[in-house]
Amino acid sequence: MNENVKVISPTSRQEGHAELYMKVDDEGIVTKGMYFSITPVRGIEKMVLDKRPETGPVLCQRICGVCPIPHTLASVEAMDAALGTEVPKAGKLLRQITLSAHNINSHAIHHFLIAPDVVPDDLFATAVKSVGEVRKATQFVVDTIAGEGIHPSDIRLGGMARNISPLAKDKLIEKMTALKGTLENHVELIKDLVHKADFPEDLGKVDVPLFVSDPTYGNTDAFPLDKLTEVLPEAWYGDEAVGKRACTVIPLLDGKNVETGPRARMEKFEGFKGKGITAQHIARAEEMLVSYNDVLTKLDELDTSASARAEFDPRGTGELGIGVIEAPRGTNVHMAKVVDGKTKFYSAIVPTTWNIPTMGPATEGFSHELAPHVIRAYDPCLSCATHVMVADEEEKVIKNEYMKI
Amino acid sequence: MVLGNYKEAVSARATDKKIMEVAQDGGIVSALLIHAIESGVIEGAVVAQDPADDWAPVPTVATTADEILAAAGTKYSMSPTVFGIKEAVRQFGLEKIGVVATPCQTQGIRKVQAYPFSTRFIGDKIKLVLGIYCMENFPMASLDTFSEAMMDTDLKDVDKMDIGKGKFMIQTGGEEKGIGLKKTHGYEQAGCNICTDYVCEFSDLSTGSVGSPDGWSTVLTRTGAGVDLFKSAVDAGLIETKPMDEVKPGLPLLKKLAKGKKEKNAAEREKRVKMGIPIPTLY
Repeated sequence: MNENVKVISPTSRQEGHAELYMKVDDEGIVTKGMYFSITPVRGIEKMVLDKRPETGPVLCQRICGVCPIPHTLASVEAMDAALGTEVPKAGKLLRQITLSAHNINSHAIHHFLIAPDVVPDDLFATAVKSVGEVRKATQFVVDTIAGEGIHPSDIRLGGMARNISPLAKDKLIEKMTALKGTLENHVELIKDLVHKADFPEDLGKVDVPLFVSDPTYGNTDAFPLDKLTEVLPEAWYGDEAVGKRACTVIPLLDGKNVETGPRARMEKFEGFKGKGITAQHIARAEEMLVSYNDVLTKLDELDTSASARAEFDPRGTGELGIGVIEAPRGTNVHMAKVVDGKTKFYSAIVPTTWNIPTMGPATEGFSHELAPHVIRAYDPCLSCATHVMVADEEEKVIKNEYMKI
Repeated sequence: MVLGNYKEAVSARATDKKIMEVAQDGGIVSALLIHAIESGVIEGAVVAQDPADDWAPVPTVATTADEILAAAGTKYSMSPTVFGIKEAVRQFGLEKIGVVATPCQTQGIRKVQAYPFSTRFIGDKIKLVLGIYCMENFPMASLDTFSEAMMDTDLKDVDKMDIGKGKFMIQTGGEEKGIGLKKTHGYEQAGCNICTDYVCEFSDLSTGSVGSPDGWSTVLTRTGAGVDLFKSAVDAGLIETKPMDEVKPGLPLLKKLAKGKKEKNAAEREKRVKMGIPIPTLY
């Protein structure tokens, strides 16, 4: 290895394989950071082709076990648009509640993943317990409405499989109301710990356009399809070795890479100020409260006697349907076309794909030793890969990718 | 052990006239479910309803006494009840549920509790499994055949169905018709012929008419949950009981039928194995 090149892989405690390839100067300061996915081709977009539109969400939610809810939702939204279905109000509300509850849960998981970076030993048990309590209540909401907390079975084309009972609505409101104090304490705890971790102020700061569509759910109209271009990694990274290894294309809006995720959402819709990794963590924590209020507001609005699912014509309009969902890690876009009852086109641009070209440069200007913190602050999730442990004949672990950092 | 593990066997019937009017036999299942809901043991139950009034059972979530009574009485076709359990826990939001199940469904429910594939957080919500004795079950097409082809009666006009005393009987407009059980052989679902559980051995409490006089049921309490609920219902005066050795035909008949099912179907299992057909494990 060239002395002036540092490679870190894996970079997060999340699933998925990626490499952070950095050129550093004599002091170890990153002069050029390149972050790229080495997770092999996803293939799910190809699997759904020539199958019925109902198959789309069922297969596409398997893109990821961390973000199955946003993938299911983006897929049904894309398919509903491709079929020309108008989802009834109760169905929309149930989808929105599901997503907001999931986002709280997912942010809590991220706090668990960054705990080794920011939580001191004496508070570790407290922080982990807090994560557990937040997740338990929010996953109950997802379980009840969407059928399963992971890989939901009841988010369907046209709406939801069924509305919830009045009793279920009361219970969800009761459980979420009871969560308020716990969640507020959790957010304060995380914010406090992040501040105390004392990362350099400008670490992880980037100045790129934001791409987010909605404060909580997702808005198809805010996705500028006409401004989207995708370039191959060889062209983007300007480094043949990296370009050949990178597995994702680079999505650009107006020819520029963008930032998406909770900080971008909080800046655009909630007036959040601040950039860099501390700001990323703080915004993510504060967004939990935005999602929390969204869950309760929409539960209150829900009419449990209304139909939650519309009949739909599975033949399709032949037009491109776009589903845009504000996932925990950013804006998730699925696109589908259905002709004569069969899916003829499917494409997904997932949140981390938008952030991939932005995360590398975010490491620049600081010691390469701080780089993993930068990547984790963006919470990349590169899905569909398995962490590998290699054992020798005596079953002694000789290589453990997951534990490397 | 032909009746499985049980704590106590008694003959019993519900005391509430409203229950007895719609009950198949002693009204035990309806009385216990209503009592369980009203005493807070469960928040609701998954029962087999007949919403179209055509004997086609549909798993339904009942949370009130009226809803339980609306589903009273045996339907002799398959209800995908285990499927209804998930809906009861999820969209109905029930955290303590009861379920009325046949022996095969009870085995499925216990597996759900042991290995929660696609049923995360479901098993622990099932607080009460009321088992019903079951020799065999029929597809809807078979019921159609019995009623319409063999007894010249539209299924929709049948008020009650019953199996007993060697006959499959229907009541229609006050009139009773029947065919010998021999005539029904071959019409049962094929899986019933390799099932060796007659008295729902894995339930919390199981019940059925066999062994007790008309209008009464034989009750086997099996688990702590079953014993407690039954005792509480008896103490509250909702169920009256008689010792099994004071009623005719009594436990010997129940044992005879349970043993008969085990022996006959064990032979069928062996036969299928010899033919190379896979059969489910016995528990």
